[in-house]
Amino acid sequence: MKLAGLKSAENAHDESVWAATWVPATDNRPALLLTGSLDETVKLWRADELDLERINIGHCLGVVSVAAHPSGVIAASASLDSFVRVFDVDTNASIATLEAPPSEVWQMQFDPKGTTLAVAGGGSASVKLWDTATWKLIASLSIPRPEGSKPSDKSNSKKFVLSVAWCPHGRRLACGSMDGTISVFDVARAKFLHHLEGHSMPVRSLVYSPIDARVLFSSSDDTHVHMYDAEGKSLVGAMSGHTSWVLSVDASPDGTAIATGSSDRTVRLWDLSMRAAVQTMSNHTDQVWGVSFRPLGGNGSQGGRLASVSDDKSISLYGYS
Amino acid sequence: MACVYIPVQNSEEEVRVALDQLPRDASDILDILKAEQAPLDLWLIIAREYFKQGKIEQFRQILEEGSSPEIDEYYAEVRYERIAILNALGAYYTYLGKIETKNRKIETKHREKEEHFIMATQYYNKASRIDVHEPSTWVGKGQLLLAKGEVEQASSAFKIVLDADRDNVPALLGQACAEFNRGRFSDSLELYKRALQVYPDCPGAVRLGIGLCRYKLGQFDNARLAFQRALQLDPENVEALVALAIMDLHPNEASGIRKGMQKMQRAFEIYPYCAMALNYLANHFFFTGQHFLVEQLTETALAVTNHGPTKSHSYYNLARSYHSKGDYEKSGIYYMASVKEINKPHEFIFPYYGLGQVQLKLGDFRSALSNFEKVLEIYPDNCETLKSLGHIYVQLGQIEKSQEFMKKAAKIDARDAEVFTDLGELLISSDTSAALEAFKTARTLMKKGGQEVPIEVLNNIGVLHFEKEEFELAQQVFMEALGDGIWLTLLDNKVNIYDIDASASILQYKDMQLFRLLEEGGHSVELPWNKVTVLFNLARLLEQFNNTEAASILFRVILFKYPDYIDAYLRLAAISKARNNLQLSIELVNEALKVNGKYPTALSMLGDLELKNDDWVKAKETFRAASDATDGKDSYATLSLGNWNYYAALRNEKRAPKLEATHLEKAKELYTRVLIQHTSNLYAANGAGVVLAEKGHFDVSKDIFTQVQEAASGSVFVQMADVWINLAHVYFAQGNFALAVKMYQNCLRKFYHNTDAQILLYLARTHYEAEQWQDCKKTLLRAIHLAPSNYTLRFDAGVAMQKFSASTLQKTKRTADEVRSTVAELENAVRVFSQLSAGSNLHLHGFDEKKINTHVEYCKHLLEAAKVHREAAEREEQQNRQRQEAARQVALAEEARRKAEEQKKYLLEKRKQEDEQKRVRQLEENFERVKEQWKSSTSASKRRERPENDEEEGGHSEKRRRKSGKRKKKDKSSRSRYETQEEADTMDDQDELEDEDARETTHQMDDQDDAAGENAQDLLAAAGLEDSDAEDEMAVPSSAAVRRRQALSESDDDEQLPNSIRDNTDSDGEVRDDNDKPDEDAGLDDGC
Repeated sequence: MKLAGLKSAENAHDESVWAATWVPATDNRPALLLTGSLDETVKLWRADELDLERINIGHCLGVVSVAAHPSGVIAASASLDSFVRVFDVDTNASIATLEAPPSEVWQMQFDPKGTTLAVAGGGSASVKLWDTATWKLIASLSIPRPEGSKPSDKSNSKKFVLSVAWCPHGRRLACGSMDGTISVFDVARAKFLHHLEGHSMPVRSLVYSPIDARVLFSSSDDTHVHMYDAEGKSLVGAMSGHTSWVLSVDASPDGTAIATGSSDRTVRLWDLSMRAAVQTMSNHTDQVWGVSFRPLGGNGSQGGRLASVSDDKSISLYGYS
Repeated sequence: MACVYIPVQNSEEEVRVALDQLPRDASDILDILKAEQAPLDLWLIIAREYFKQGKIEQFRQILEEGSSPEIDEYYAEVRYERIAILNALGAYYTYLGKIETKNRKIETKHREKEEHFIMATQYYNKASRIDVHEPSTWVGKGQLLLAKGEVEQASSAFKIVLDADRDNVPALLGQACAEFNRGRFSDSLELYKRALQVYPDCPGAVRLGIGLCRYKLGQFDNARLAFQRALQLDPENVEALVALAIMDLHPNEASGIRKGMQKMQRAFEIYPYCAMALNYLANHFFFTGQHFLVEQLTETALAVTNHGPTKSHSYYNLARSYHSKGDYEKSGIYYMASVKEINKPHEFIFPYYGLGQVQLKLGDFRSALSNFEKVLEIYPDNCETLKSLGHIYVQLGQIEKSQEFMKKAAKIDARDAEVFTDLGELLISSDTSAALEAFKTARTLMKKGGQEVPIEVLNNIGVLHFEKEEFELAQQVFMEALGDGIWLTLLDNKVNIYDIDASASILQYKDMQLFRLLEEGGHSVELPWNKVTVLFNLARLLEQFNNTEAASILFRVILFKYPDYIDAYLRLAAISKARNNLQLSIELVNEALKVNGKYPTALSMLGDLELKNDDWVKAKETFRAASDATDGKDSYATLSLGNWNYYAALRNEKRAPKLEATHLEKAKELYTRVLIQHTSNLYAANGAGVVLAEKGHFDVSKDIFTQVQEAASGSVFVQMADVWINLAHVYFAQGNFALAVKMYQNCLRKFYHNTDAQILLYLARTHYEAEQWQDCKKTLLRAIHLAPSNYTLRFDAGVAMQKFSASTLQKTKRTADEVRSTVAELENAVRVFSQLSAGSNLHLHGFDEKKINTHVEYCKHLLEAAKVHREAAEREEQQNRQRQEAARQVALAEEARRKAEEQKKYLLEKRKQEDEQKRVRQLEENFERVKEQWKSSTSASKRRERPENDEEEGGHSEKRRRKSGKRKKKDKSSRSRYETQEEADTMDDQDELEDEDARETTHQMDDQDDAAGENAQDLLAAAGLEDSDAEDEMAVPSSAAVRRRQALSESDDDEQLPNSIRDNTDSDGEVRDDNDKPDEDAGLDDGC
């Protein structure tokens, strides 16, 4: 497996680019890349030339997270002011503005069926679930406080939720916290199941394997990527190699590889059969905040694509094969 | 049967004396000789016979009787015989003097020898008195002089004889001997030849002389012939045999040696007391390892010879024998004895070398040095000697001299791998590149020579590559050194291992189950002792590659086999510490301490961990223990204690100035102590700089930091982010914001991959002070993104936005755009503060809800005002445009209308202004009072803020310093071990520490913010009181009250930022601005 640099858009944003995801293709257009930046804008890009499709404004403070509905029709973006803006991808018409004070908003993800948007709720130590039909808050999955801790105990800020991930069939949801623990929930029953231990530093990104609903990948500030059996509560493997925080992780659509972006300015491709980094891309000049594989399907999408975004204001696009 | 006949006096009869049946008592014969007045030649014959039979006493008795005064008188006419008797006696004493030997102490020996020579001289003189010209007397005298070593005089004695009779054989031989001793071998050879011509039947000794001369002249074949001839004449001629044997031995060929040794043996059998033969035999047996024989032979040789060089040789043999047996004391004594027998080192240099070796072994470097230098004088190119000298200089600490010798040795013998290995070892500490070259050369040589390259050499090469950051090469070399083994399985078949071990135990760095499973699975988990170090280094390298998982497995396999390998525990602890798993890290360090409870590195590390765990008292004790374990010589422990004190000074939330001063003083003392021990300790210097900065000596501390920074940038292994930050703090404190910003940014990029929210906070603060509001805001947003759970950052961002808005609104001229963005910013600020306010219910952060609400209120209010301003600005904009267009046409009408409007507005404004002025006055009073309060509380209000900043700065720097301290210590501790390890340790620790720092600083920051918050609250409370008073007294309209409140809360905000210095001034300024505004703008402002 291999990554080949296709295109790099320098100064794609006026400031650091903090989030990226692919909007799946629809019947009348291919998949688009959605990026969010500290410059308070959200931009849509057309592969493979990274032509700017549109600029969405309306956010205050930096855009920290973007998410696309599996249908490719709608998408959501969230900023440091804790508003989530849901919009129509093709028209940029606002559909809803979500907030659940005092909870902040960090990573977001639509569930695979597209009925629910999960939002990492930061200091509220919970994940907020929004119904995508009514845009009402339907559930708040809270991480239970450790036993014996008082509500005033400062340590609960350690459960600050940063990242969320849906498993491929949508029954499980995992969220990662500042203290490095990962919590797994049964979505249907809105019930906390168990913690996954192993990291002791913030887990900023999580992704389930698209081919195995038990396998969860996590990236942490401790420079490691972990591979868990999320059902069996066990750590299957630990991959080291980055020299600084691992900020983002994504799994390839075929499930044989993962890509990571790190503060060490590199993007790495990991072969899961070897559990080792097989390629390191170092074309970014600052922290790489997001990596995202383009989902399969859609017209005119030949071959896999990986996008990475960085503090250096640029977007890079790679062919994945 | 030989007989002599003594004529009986006065008769024809004779007494027949059978020479082989001489009576035991010589007196019997003497009686006969005297009674019969036998001719003196008979006396001589009989005496000589006694001598031949070894009956020395009898011989002497007869001759002494024969030379007594009576005889002289009686035989006065018989001159020749009398002379002969005297000469015989002289020769006898000469002989005695020459042989004077053994078993007696040297002094006695010497004295007796002298006595013998004196006796001999007396006899010869007596003979001379009888006849001065008698040649045999001269010959005897010559021999005597030779024996006494007075070669020149002996030569002249022989010359006297030879002048008279140039064919006098004894004189010729004597002269030949004299010439030989004078080193004139060809002259000597000529004399021997002449003696042989004159007297062809002369004994083998002459041919021996010829042989020796030829030998000395290098004519070995002729020499051999001569010796062989001598041997033919006298098969028992030991000297000839020995000489031939030596000639056989010297070419150093196996067959020759065998033949030579056979001859030696024969010579020994013939005459067991030939020292030369004994020495050579001993030499032989030394090489065959029969030390017992060596000792016996040499002792005999020593007993039988008096000849210095030979004795020296014997002692040397003996010394060598003991040396090889490892008895250095004895061998030293014998080498010494051997050396004493030598006049000039160049005669026989080997014992000097041996002595040098033994002294080296016994640690007497100076003596060894002088001995080796003697050897070197004679053999200036002797590699071994050069190497030995190199080693000695290392021991004496003169590394450069040592290198000189080693390099010379390497140059001379470019094929000696050992030299290069040694050279490499020497250079390691001073010149890694050269050391690496030397080791590589050694490796190449060994490989060429088909030798297996020792693991140590490969390890050193690997380590040096490591140090030079040639990691790939280092890995190759380590793998080569390791060869085949379990580690290959561990490194390559990761997948299998994880499959076996699909439990959460991987992260438990203490887990050994993996290896047991491997063993059960049929793998043999073996780790030869000599590969442990290499494996450790490889693991360190893997850590460098960030392959910490593989590294941890290797460390664990080391521990699995060698549970006492403390450093492996510490590395594992460091890995888990880097991953912030403090609990595990502490456990691992405790494992290490179980092995050795006083291991300073482990103790220091434990102290660090405890500090990280906020276990202050324990940490201090641990550092103390670490310090004690090294008798206070461990700079790391001392530095840690210094840092501890520094933290302690700043930590207390309720600052107790006394305590603070004490702690600072103590910290300074500790740093100074380290600096005295290690003048170049960067961390101590940094610490001292921080303390100085803390006390306000910014210039001095800046100098220190700059120097430390320069020094630190020289090494790839020293990464002192702290000093950059400290320097930036100093720039900041001195108001040089641009430089401070640059410094913070560089530091962040260089050392932290831009991931340190704390430094971003410093940066934001600098922007804040520089009134670069937007930069400040952006920086804070980045910080929030990095550290999402740090709510203080959000608060600060809110304050920055609020401040930005306020400052824009205060501007006398502003565009509509500016005002619009101000409005947007204010909305954001309101949003941020409201969120915080809502969050405070959940205790997400430590802010006071009331205070936040105050901010919310203020911002909202400002927002309202801003909106008005915005509308006004927009209107004005529009109006301006319109005005420009319509100016000419409707000038007059416009004018009139405007005048009317202005009039109206003026009245309105005037009222407003009055209110404003009242408010301002009141505000000023309030502030005066507040200021008073501040002054009285701890220090002057304005000043007060600044120290706080500094402290805060100090705080981080401090931490940093501490880290640095750690690094330092690491260096030290590991130095004793393997170099790479050490470096590696250092690096790792640093990392760990950095993390730790970041965390701690955050804490501190929090604390400080809290503290600041408290202050602010106090102020607010005070201000509030004033407010109410004012309201009561003056009954100002409510709007004015609100405004006042705004102003107050604004000052409040400023406080909230980690370190706003000029709050008071700012607010004063604002107030004044407000004052001025109405005057200036009276006409325009609200005009439309």
